[in-house]
Amino acid sequence: MTEMKATTASKKIVELATFYIGDALCGMDILKIQEINKLMQMTKVPQAPEYVVGILNLRGQIVTIIDLGRKLGLGKTDISQDPRNIIVNSAGGHVGLLVRKISDVVSADMEKKESAPANMRGIQGDYFNGVYKTDTNLIGILNVDKVLSIED
Amino acid sequence: MEIEDDEILQGFIEESLEHLADIENDLLTVEEAGADIDEDLVNKVFRAAHSIKGGAGFMGLTTIQDLSHAAENVLGMIRAKKLIPTPEIVNVLLMAMDALQSMIEDVQNSNDVDISSHLTPLNAIAEGTFSQPPAQPQTVPQPEPEEPSMEEPDLCLDTEEEAADEDAIAEETTDAEHPVEPPVIQPMPPVDVPASVTTATKSAQAPPTKTEASLRVHVSLLDSLMNLAGELVLSRNQLLQTIGSDDLRNAEAVGQRIDLITSELQEAIMLTRMQPIGNVFNKFPRVVRDLSKKLGKTIDLTIVGKDVELDKTIIEAINDPLTHLVRNSVDHGIELPSERRQRGKTETGLVILKAYHEAGQVVIEISDDGKGLDGDALAASAVNKGLLTSEQAQVMSDKEKVNLIFLPGFSTAKEVTDVSGRGVGMDVVKTNLDQLGGNVDIISEKGSGTTISIKLPLTLAIIPCQIIETAGERYAIPQVNLEELLRIPAAQVKERIEKVGDAEVVRLRGVLLPLIRLADVIGIERTYYDPVTDEMLPDRREKVSDRRGKNSPLFHNRDGSPKEVADKQFEHPRSIIDRRASAASALNIVVVSTGSMKYGLIVDRLQDSEEIVIKPLGRHLQQCKGYAGATIMGDGRIALILDVSNLARMAHLTSVDGSDRASEVKKAAEAAIKAIKDKQSLLIFKSSEQEHFAVPLNQVERIEKIKRSDIEQLGGKRVMKYRGGSLSLICVDDLAMVQPLADHDSLLVIVFNIAKRSVGLLAIGPIDALEVSADIDGTTLSQPGIMGSIIIDNQTTMLVNVFEMTQTLFPQWFTEQKKPELLDAEEGELPTILIAEDSKFFRNQVKGYMTEVGYNVIEAEDGVEGWTKLMEHGDEISMLVTDIEMPNMNGFELTKKIRSDKQYAKLPIIALTTLASAEDIAKGKAVGVDEYHIKLDKERLMASVHDYIKRTH
Repeated sequence: MTEMKATTASKKIVELATFYIGDALCGMDILKIQEINKLMQMTKVPQAPEYVVGILNLRGQIVTIIDLGRKLGLGKTDISQDPRNIIVNSAGGHVGLLVRKISDVVSADMEKKESAPANMRGIQGDYFNGVYKTDTNLIGILNVDKVLSIED
Repeated sequence: MEIEDDEILQGFIEESLEHLADIENDLLTVEEAGADIDEDLVNKVFRAAHSIKGGAGFMGLTTIQDLSHAAENVLGMIRAKKLIPTPEIVNVLLMAMDALQSMIEDVQNSNDVDISSHLTPLNAIAEGTFSQPPAQPQTVPQPEPEEPSMEEPDLCLDTEEEAADEDAIAEETTDAEHPVEPPVIQPMPPVDVPASVTTATKSAQAPPTKTEASLRVHVSLLDSLMNLAGELVLSRNQLLQTIGSDDLRNAEAVGQRIDLITSELQEAIMLTRMQPIGNVFNKFPRVVRDLSKKLGKTIDLTIVGKDVELDKTIIEAINDPLTHLVRNSVDHGIELPSERRQRGKTETGLVILKAYHEAGQVVIEISDDGKGLDGDALAASAVNKGLLTSEQAQVMSDKEKVNLIFLPGFSTAKEVTDVSGRGVGMDVVKTNLDQLGGNVDIISEKGSGTTISIKLPLTLAIIPCQIIETAGERYAIPQVNLEELLRIPAAQVKERIEKVGDAEVVRLRGVLLPLIRLADVIGIERTYYDPVTDEMLPDRREKVSDRRGKNSPLFHNRDGSPKEVADKQFEHPRSIIDRRASAASALNIVVVSTGSMKYGLIVDRLQDSEEIVIKPLGRHLQQCKGYAGATIMGDGRIALILDVSNLARMAHLTSVDGSDRASEVKKAAEAAIKAIKDKQSLLIFKSSEQEHFAVPLNQVERIEKIKRSDIEQLGGKRVMKYRGGSLSLICVDDLAMVQPLADHDSLLVIVFNIAKRSVGLLAIGPIDALEVSADIDGTTLSQPGIMGSIIIDNQTTMLVNVFEMTQTLFPQWFTEQKKPELLDAEEGELPTILIAEDSKFFRNQVKGYMTEVGYNVIEAEDGVEGWTKLMEHGDEISMLVTDIEMPNMNGFELTKKIRSDKQYAKLPIIALTTLASAEDIAKGKAVGVDEYHIKLDKERLMASVHDYIKRTH
């Protein structure tokens, strides 16, 4: 509900939480994020899809951890390098998105969003809504719903 | 239509629905009582209708008001005894109540519903124009339903209603049953029409929403909850204080207190979720009544155990499966009255619905006294459908055949009705119940009825589980699936784990149990737990039984066989390292069962059993079928809950298929055939590693475990100290040409009592007592000390003749015994003994005993031949030694026949048996057997023979 309102009310300016998946800087609407954690004790799930790193107990809730690096085809996120865990509340329960590191929060004018460049599409372009250009960087805007959807 | 005050309306709906729920059963009771009216009950129904009318009037729900008014009028007349509640009248009332219910559930549109089809018959009844000669009740409904159907303005409504009717009442009616009683069926649909108008589909979905919306909880329960919540808050405060003060002892006390309160709170909260199963059961009288009427059957429904409580979610979920099963019983189980009469049953069929507690679970039984299931017909049908090969079908037990109806894809209505009538969607029923953690079992006897029993857990939210560990992760196995925990010591792994085709199996109390490695099924690296170093080590064995590779047996083991850990260790069989490592490779097996399937799950470690709370897995993990969910353990980490039936599926174990199971059943069938022959209890043992030996169990006195060092070699004889004396020890290889006794440190001594002395036979394990059919080959392997061979579990096993061995090795023991007998025999003429025995082996054995001492022997292969021989030789024969189990005429019959002839009234008869049960002995005595002896117990048999011969001479 709140997300809906946020996007409709301030159609132009969106706060983007940015983070690194591998070397790629990506961002997502900060209002979709419940919290950001360090990786806690995790339980592996044999036979799970390759991009599911495991599950963990977040205050009594079972949270599935997805390695965004693997999901997007940007390489496995190194667990030993103190990665961060972005908890988002999706339709099917809480999901944690494992990223290499967290970066700044950027206010982005969505009207200046550009469609994803060719090379990004080359990797897993489907997962991006577009690209936002800041003074120094290009931020790939993650399509969280698409990332969390279950193919086949 | 708009209704302003939502709250009042909600109250009205809830209240009215409650009234209606009662009315239905009350009306049925009223109908049963007939003219003999129970005034209180009628009053109750009347008041209920009246309050609905009142409420509806207040809310402006005119249609509901009109209908309840009309119903109230009729009820008023019944109350005033102006009207006798015949089934037809009650029918009209019930239909009206159904219509009321559907209108109340959809209040907003209720005023638009056409209720004329109900009003007309109700008013007709009230005005007395509703003709109902009690003598011919069948004719009554015909004129009456025609009215509403003529009033029906819309033709296409009719088809809808047909469909709705199908939906609501006859979800899976078998088409075959319809034409059976056309005159009865015909009037029903039109009467039923109004009930399902417009809201038919909604009313079908209504009950779950109704129960979900709100729940009635007793105030006292609520109070106790409140109390406990208060306690919890207090304890929390204490805990916070204690944490601040660093007082450990106090913390312990507070911890205990919180533990106590939490479990009480848990129980109390669970209680609020508990509902009587009566909520579901109560609708069945109506279902049975309507359906049996429709099918022209008379059926009594008995309900037992309405008060049994189950978790709300379970109550809701069992509604459909139960309805299905009850309908099946009525539709296909109970026969038509005429058919029942023919079979000598009462015309009225009986369906019993029963709920009770058993071992922490709730059992629901649906039984009928109908025609039962025809297992052979079911099996034939399954074979036709290609679900089963005819070989599999042949070896299936009756119970398994009956359980075929749960096979997915087993049946579609028509095809099975032809043969037996059941099986419509039974797999769906089973699946639904499986999801609830329930269990279905079916017992059926052709011709006399079927009982389906369902076992359900009390609640789903918190379940007791066994925690296990594999590859360093913990997993939980629900205790409902848990049969037992099995640990196979490393030393026995090789003997007890066998390979059948690709599958590994373990022999558990004579049954082969398929084994699955958890690590393999879920695709992780195999590990084993080393208790010495307390760490998990990767396990590189290919097979469980590979502890010392099967293809490199002991004797060829030292020439650099594969460098497996166990192999290396086996080169130093007596080192301490070996023992420790052996303990590490012991197998932990969790024996689980689900439905008709039972298997062993090999895990690394077994941990505690715990009560756990089930939490669902996220949607990304839905594809992992092996888990039923996850739970949070005491240390905050997560353990996955295993779904035992899906694991079996993943490992390609299926209940009916499964070559193991089939072959097992086949074995059982073979055994059953063999059982007709004699059974012999044998003690199986080994002397060398490779040869298997057996002795008759009944000759064995004791079995002792000794160390090799206990054996003393004195004067060329082996002895050991035993019970204050010396026990002579012998080996099978002392006499027989077999491999020498294995070089083991610990040995077994099987003690026999022969010639009034004890003798010990040295052996090595494993030993096992088996009951086998005495299909003994007395020639192929026969040699001194070995009386024959027998195939046990595909192993040729040699039967040791302990008597002969002792006699040869210690001839001096027998000299004093033998002499008087020979003298005895020489004095008179040689007595002749008739031996009746069907097994050639035993006959030869017994004959051998007799001729050895000098008796003449006449042989007979069965009782009939025995009798003929007796007739032929008459006076010569001074004694009969007979087997009990023989074809054509058994030992009892033979004895009886002989005793009935005066000439032989005094002929001594000794019965030989392999299993002397007290019953048999009594039976034998009754027909005239003088004495019982155990086969192969030469000593006692001969003593007794001499004794009788002496007496008669």
